[in-house]
Amino acid sequence: MPGPSNAHPTWRPEQPGAGAPHPQPRPELVVCEECDAVYHRQTLDSDDVLRCRRCGATLDRGHWLSWDGQLALTLAALVVLIIGSLSPIVTLEMRGLRSVATLFDMTRLTWESGDELVALLSAATAFAFPLVVIVLRLWVLVPLLAGRRAPALIPAMRALRWVMRWSMVEVFMLGVLIAVVRSAGVTTVVLGPGIFAFGALTVMVTAMQASGMHGLWEHATEPAP
Amino acid sequence: MTDVYTAAPTLGLRGCECCGLVVSAPPDGRVVRCPRCHLSLHLHKPQSLQRTAAFLATAVVLYIPANLLPVMATASVLGRDTHTLVGGILDLWTSGSWELSVIVFIASIAVPLLKIAALVLLAWTSQQRSRWRQRERAGLYRLVETVGHWSMLDVFVVVLLVGMVHFGVLASVEVEPGLLAFGAVVVATMLASASFDPRLIWPLPDETERNGPMQRRLAAWRDRRAHRQGGAVERA
Repeated sequence: MPGPSNAHPTWRPEQPGAGAPHPQPRPELVVCEECDAVYHRQTLDSDDVLRCRRCGATLDRGHWLSWDGQLALTLAALVVLIIGSLSPIVTLEMRGLRSVATLFDMTRLTWESGDELVALLSAATAFAFPLVVIVLRLWVLVPLLAGRRAPALIPAMRALRWVMRWSMVEVFMLGVLIAVVRSAGVTTVVLGPGIFAFGALTVMVTAMQASGMHGLWEHATEPAP
Repeated sequence: MTDVYTAAPTLGLRGCECCGLVVSAPPDGRVVRCPRCHLSLHLHKPQSLQRTAAFLATAVVLYIPANLLPVMATASVLGRDTHTLVGGILDLWTSGSWELSVIVFIASIAVPLLKIAALVLLAWTSQQRSRWRQRERAGLYRLVETVGHWSMLDVFVVVLLVGMVHFGVLASVEVEPGLLAFGAVVVATMLASASFDPRLIWPLPDETERNGPMQRRLAAWRDRRAHRQGGAVERA
């Protein structure tokens, strides 16, 4: 269905002097975020992807995880992120000397070598922003499953949308692989638990973000039963 | 039921780009607030093209030091070597892992350049209110959004090497100023694509087009053709 069949304007101009316009929700419709085409909402199965016919953008996705499952996944991701950032990612050996590298050490050494901004940029995108994504999701999901509305729900969800864009766990993971290959020529590299934790976290974060935010918005702002 | 796509504003509707809610709104440019997430719903992102152009200019200027200055230095008892981005790729190539050198080349040289070129093209054609290859341009925008953050790869690699290789005087790796410039290029291009409003690819029929019946028919025909080529709403 390309659009609503009644192509009549749904906005009725208010009386002169009526003040600011009051937008009315139209939950039966979907508007493409990328080209403004209008569609009727459809119920989607878990594997369905609804695409805009005009520009090809993804309008909506089915959810393959229940809200309980989402919460479990987010909790698991929190544990894995903590393990990954505290335990050694790799250990290098060179002529009897050992160098253990955790995410914290890397940031500290980069900071000490005089590049505070680079240290902040990498620590933020590889660790802090993913952590904030996980914490904000827990902030929203835990009260939700207890049947309550999270405090400061709207600022939390708005912050989540922003921070998801700057979380780069998957890029960091590929960076680890390349750094290992580049140093393997000169030294002996022993992989630590951190590298596996970040590998698992990459999959988890991707799964967490796969279904998008719209479903969570709908579910989180529904009036409590 | 008509095949012509009618954009939300002309139906008196607006979609929220944050939470996806559709609301009725005045068809003029007045800003309304989304009742669900409280985001201001503009017809287009405010000053989208100006902001995109400003971030792009920043990225282009910083791209020069990012590639000319060394991004890291390796120090050992034998002396101190500095490496540029291209040098690191050549090192990977000669050390035998050409697959990884291709990945790094794509992520750190090709992607930033293509991203800048793609955004210049998108911003310029949108400024012209062009109807040229709209669907392909929409796809290009999504590609830029998807691959954008992968350019951060080289920043991570250097920071990781600094953390991994610290054997005192025997061997160590240090960050050089080029890396900050490169990181700034990545951030600037990400901000540029975030500022660009893809709805500008699909201009509403403006006053001149609405004046004549021929232009109106032409616009409707273009939309129908776009629809025929567009296939169906797919269910995977």
